[in-house]
Amino acid sequence: MITGYLKEGQSRKMKKIINDPGQVVSDMLAGMEAVNPEICYDKENEVIYRRKKTEKVGIVSGGGSGHEPAHAGYVGMGMLDAAVAGNVFASPDPARILNGIEHADSGRGVLLVIKNYSGDIMNFEMAADLAADMDIPVKSVIVRDDVAVKESTYSTGRRGIAGTIFVHKIAGAKAENGGTLEEVAELAQKTADNVRSFGVSLSSCILPGVGTPGFVIGEGQMELGMGIHGEPGIEQTSMKSAAEIAEIMVEKITADLDYSGREAAVIVNGLGGTPFMELYILAGEIDKRIRAKHITPVKYLVGNYMTSLEMAGASMSMLRLDEEMKQYLVSPCNTMAWKEG
Amino acid sequence: MGFQITPKEYVDYLVLAGEEIEKNGDYVTALDAKTGDGDHWVNLNAGFQKLIAIQEELKEMELAPMMKKIGMTLMSAIGGSSGVLYGSGYLAASKALKEAEVLDIDTLYLFLQTELSAIMERGKAKPGWKTMIDSLYEAVEAYRMAKEVGEDERCVIEAMKRGAAEGRDRTREMEAVKGRASYQTNKGVGELDPGAVTMCIQLECLSDYIVKHQL
Repeated sequence: MITGYLKEGQSRKMKKIINDPGQVVSDMLAGMEAVNPEICYDKENEVIYRRKKTEKVGIVSGGGSGHEPAHAGYVGMGMLDAAVAGNVFASPDPARILNGIEHADSGRGVLLVIKNYSGDIMNFEMAADLAADMDIPVKSVIVRDDVAVKESTYSTGRRGIAGTIFVHKIAGAKAENGGTLEEVAELAQKTADNVRSFGVSLSSCILPGVGTPGFVIGEGQMELGMGIHGEPGIEQTSMKSAAEIAEIMVEKITADLDYSGREAAVIVNGLGGTPFMELYILAGEIDKRIRAKHITPVKYLVGNYMTSLEMAGASMSMLRLDEEMKQYLVSPCNTMAWKEG
Repeated sequence: MGFQITPKEYVDYLVLAGEEIEKNGDYVTALDAKTGDGDHWVNLNAGFQKLIAIQEELKEMELAPMMKKIGMTLMSAIGGSSGVLYGSGYLAASKALKEAEVLDIDTLYLFLQTELSAIMERGKAKPGWKTMIDSLYEAVEAYRMAKEVGEDERCVIEAMKRGAAEGRDRTREMEAVKGRASYQTNKGVGELDPGAVTMCIQLECLSDYIVKHQL
């Protein structure tokens, strides 16, 4: 399926640093284990989990691969206890998720952080049922931060994107500080309720197992609100400046939730193919605009936090803080993708 | 005495269904490529091939644990959404059939009804949404009605088969509410739903197996 058009002579050939397209997920996870002594890789189940298990509520997330560092990059002290990887852009199955739950469970229950996609919801909920059969108490929080999607009764509704990282951080910190499963789940839900995101895409990406792009964004074009799997956004438009993009992001997000007079944390997230230079230009433009709206940014993350393979583009996620969320946002964590304290 | 499907015989049916699914690969994939990702058949077939590979182990099991094993196997081997839906159906059936040793006219109904409810609940979907549910729903309804009016077992099982096919055929005019087809501007209207097609293959095989061997 090709939407948009490809310029004549523009190569569609895949050029990736891999060994075997069928092994990208396991090869990647093995690499992560090799470079991070804090984590272990369960090869049977494509699960990354903390080497040192402590007695606390376990936090598990996961989903399709191709969004690295999400989610295995957030496994470590103060964030996730296990991350379950599916194939590229496809949900892991319940047996793998159950394995992740077992790795994370120390007898005090497990919280599942789920991004709102129908496949993820079904597989994680099924895994939660299986865990309940094994008498492991499990609660779930579903993140639906993407304001580009209209909420509706029947369809799946808003997607979960980079705002999910705030939920990992704050729920993880609460668990690390001895919160009960109920307390951790409640705070995770509060975080999910207070975060909004909006993204723009400048180019497509190639799934290693497919070899050609599933869609093309035309020359001089960008797409507003495209999903992290290339799901259709709000509209294709001509390419805009960083200032104009920041304006759209801030307006879309603040129109959906009132941040005025509040403190906030912001992720300026690269989708994989956009350089840090551009992300910092965008961050500067975002900063001006949110301050003008009487929002006080107390924490910025600028970088690749939840990507779409090599897609060019960026998303903004903004969390409306209160004292409790702020305290856990800045408390220590030690993961590959987010270190604090 | 009416039909009685033992666990071993259920596995024999699964093998036949797996062979039938295998044969329909090109047809289902071509259908799926028009409205979906094009990977439904590949995944479902992998699931049934896995069941065929472990058939000897399944045949040794009691009914409820066998249903659970089938569910877990399909969940992992099919993956994605179809895997968890079939898995949910079989796992729920395993719980509902705890007391049963065989599938007879009553427990087979319980099995199909339970599978239907579990798939609807897991998928948060309803009949009429152009999915695998449409074939199963019509099959269960036809089974129930034929049974209620006191038809003999052969008629009940044949009614189930007709219901499955009617449900499948009705998906042609339906608009997709969920999944990839729902993103298309025409919502997949004019094409059968591949999930309903493969569900129907299984129900037809089940009906044929029972009629051929036991009625």
